[in-house]
Amino acid sequence: MIDDRAALPPGLVRASALTPGARYDGGYAAAEAATWAAPLLEIKPETSADSAAALAFALGCAAASTRGLLIVTGPDHVFQEHGALYAEGLAHFGLDLDRLVLVRTRTQDDALWAAEQALSAPMAHAVCLVPPSRKPLTLLATRRMLLAAERRGARCTLLRLDGGGASAAWMRWTIAAAPSVGSKREVGSPVFSARLERYRFGPAGLAWMLHWNVHERRFVSDRIALDGRLAPGFAHRSPDARRSRAA
Amino acid sequence: MPIDRLTRAGLAPPDRPFALYAKSGASFVLTAVDRRAAHAGLSPGRALADARAIRPDIVAAEADPEADAALLDRIGAYCERFTPTIVLDPPDGLFLEVAGCAHLFDGEAAMAQTARATLKAQGFSAVNVAIADTPGAAWAFSRYAPTSSPDGDLLTLLSPLPVAALRLDAGADALLDRFGLRTIGQILHAPRAPFTARAGQNAMRRLDQALGRVGEALIPRRPPPPLFAMRRLMEPVLTLDGVLQVVEDLCADLADKLEGRGYGVRRLGLLLFGVDGKTRSVRLGISRLETVGSAMMRLLKERLSAQAETFEAEFGFEAARLEALELAPLAPHAVDLDAAPDARDIQAEARLVDALAARLGQERVSRLEVRAVHAPERASGLARFGPIGPAPSAPPTDGIPRRPLTLLPSPEPIEALATVPDGPPLRFRWRRVQRNVARAEGPERIAPNWLAASDSKTRDYYRIEDEAGRRYWLYREGFYDAPDPPRWYMHGVFG
Repeated sequence: MIDDRAALPPGLVRASALTPGARYDGGYAAAEAATWAAPLLEIKPETSADSAAALAFALGCAAASTRGLLIVTGPDHVFQEHGALYAEGLAHFGLDLDRLVLVRTRTQDDALWAAEQALSAPMAHAVCLVPPSRKPLTLLATRRMLLAAERRGARCTLLRLDGGGASAAWMRWTIAAAPSVGSKREVGSPVFSARLERYRFGPAGLAWMLHWNVHERRFVSDRIALDGRLAPGFAHRSPDARRSRAA
Repeated sequence: MPIDRLTRAGLAPPDRPFALYAKSGASFVLTAVDRRAAHAGLSPGRALADARAIRPDIVAAEADPEADAALLDRIGAYCERFTPTIVLDPPDGLFLEVAGCAHLFDGEAAMAQTARATLKAQGFSAVNVAIADTPGAAWAFSRYAPTSSPDGDLLTLLSPLPVAALRLDAGADALLDRFGLRTIGQILHAPRAPFTARAGQNAMRRLDQALGRVGEALIPRRPPPPLFAMRRLMEPVLTLDGVLQVVEDLCADLADKLEGRGYGVRRLGLLLFGVDGKTRSVRLGISRLETVGSAMMRLLKERLSAQAETFEAEFGFEAARLEALELAPLAPHAVDLDAAPDARDIQAEARLVDALAARLGQERVSRLEVRAVHAPERASGLARFGPIGPAPSAPPTDGIPRRPLTLLPSPEPIEALATVPDGPPLRFRWRRVQRNVARAEGPERIAPNWLAASDSKTRDYYRIEDEAGRRYWLYREGFYDAPDPPRWYMHGVFG
């Protein structure tokens, strides 16, 4: 089994934790479980400058939720604009290069086709990069992807660099980069400000500060703010206090 | 053949004698003549001036041996519909190894007839085809006894032919003629040692080769596939569905041939022979060894459907051949009945990668690998999907990535302002947006490979975090004390 929490039915998540005003500390665990169980997931950057953070979050989610193949698909021009996936950097981020397959296609349609095909591999997780386009992704296309993923028991993440529109995805996360914690001048481990913008089975709008742990390959929540902003005083706390809290 | 090349291109005059010439020593000499010129008594070897005197209306063009060789190669490609093993025999000959293929064309005689008729229909005036047991004999029959059907003892059949049919050296021909030795029969029983001393090393060897006493090594136009399946079609196939049906049959045939051999296919080639004389080919790589016909069919179908419009089967296809271009022994592997439920299914993964590569192209589906090179641009590479060794680059123990998630296709110049020389920038402008630096780490100095690029400069890389927490990998090229001021570049973005 991947994790016991992955088997949690969406209804249970709704009933227990993801209720506004509930105790927040347990909140992320439920959201994480729902994220891992979702057949179709959408992740979008807060602003275009956060594209790299959104990509990192998508890859992190995918790597955390599966032990099968991780297939990244996207049209050529995305990799031209945002840069090509960098092997050493992916390894430093904790991804297993042995499980990663990169598919660069000519068109967006081909990228979606490849992602849909990828769902046929056992336990596969397909991450499809969707850049802004004159022909935006339709609700029908996302619905098709959702059905394909559900039918095969696989998972798919759409990285909506186009900002997203109507979608059949179970969840949509909005991701922004967040400042490192710790010593004033040092660049620390990856931090994301993640807001659950849309959730099909429960309340949305909750936000977490998530630290990526490269060794355990999972996100560790820190402190929650309802409006998606950094909770005040967050950055001033000492790293030791933060660590004990996360553990 | 050179005349035919120009006639087919519409460059030969329709109603006047036509000849080709080449410079030989101080004069121009004819190398090829057409029917009208031959009728007027001209032949290759005559001087161009003589020809002009005999037939003042002759049209002469300069010979182009390279174009002739290219044409011969194209004819060779065309003849692949008869057999995969084709040997070019310049200037104007082709050997086709038809052992095991003739039954596909209703026997040798019918096959020769088909070859002659199809090539004639394409505008080649003098096509001589002969099928014999040895290449040497086939060469002799095709040139010196084109009408006879060679059936029977090679010795008796070759005896009446002139000695020139033995592919002798230029001088040896004339020499034997002076001795009065005109037919092959006359030299059959000649004493070997004195004969070789006079007629040259080759004469006896050519005779032996023609008779099959010694083998002859020929180099085929392209290496023949270890295994292939072929179908000739009674009616040209015009539609994609029709082609797919034929391909399905071929896959089943090839799988039958593979069965029990203990080999699997790693590379497949599909050749579709068009009625228009052009051959369309498809090549496919397979990540795992394939032995099942239906799996090969699935990959080929994917590729053919994706490229349907590029095949342009205007007049249809008349034959198709599926070749196993590369075989490898199958390693038997034990099925783990006790496998963990989350164990990876390598077979299924390889099937997926093959399906993607078949449709999108091999180079578009890859895995990433870390290479042991300092230059960041070359440290990350794309490779074909397949097993890789243990993780070459583990994450740093402190959990902080030192390398960016994405690397820009080429470093982008940025305007940066640094407080101190040799320090990180205070703020910089990238893609028209001003960013203030909140945190910085570095420099990490990466020197260029002086062997490969002696003019590139040393780079000092910094990991930078701006006020919003976005992280960048940028570098300064050059030193402050150098004559040129240092320049800053954006190279990658962290997640």
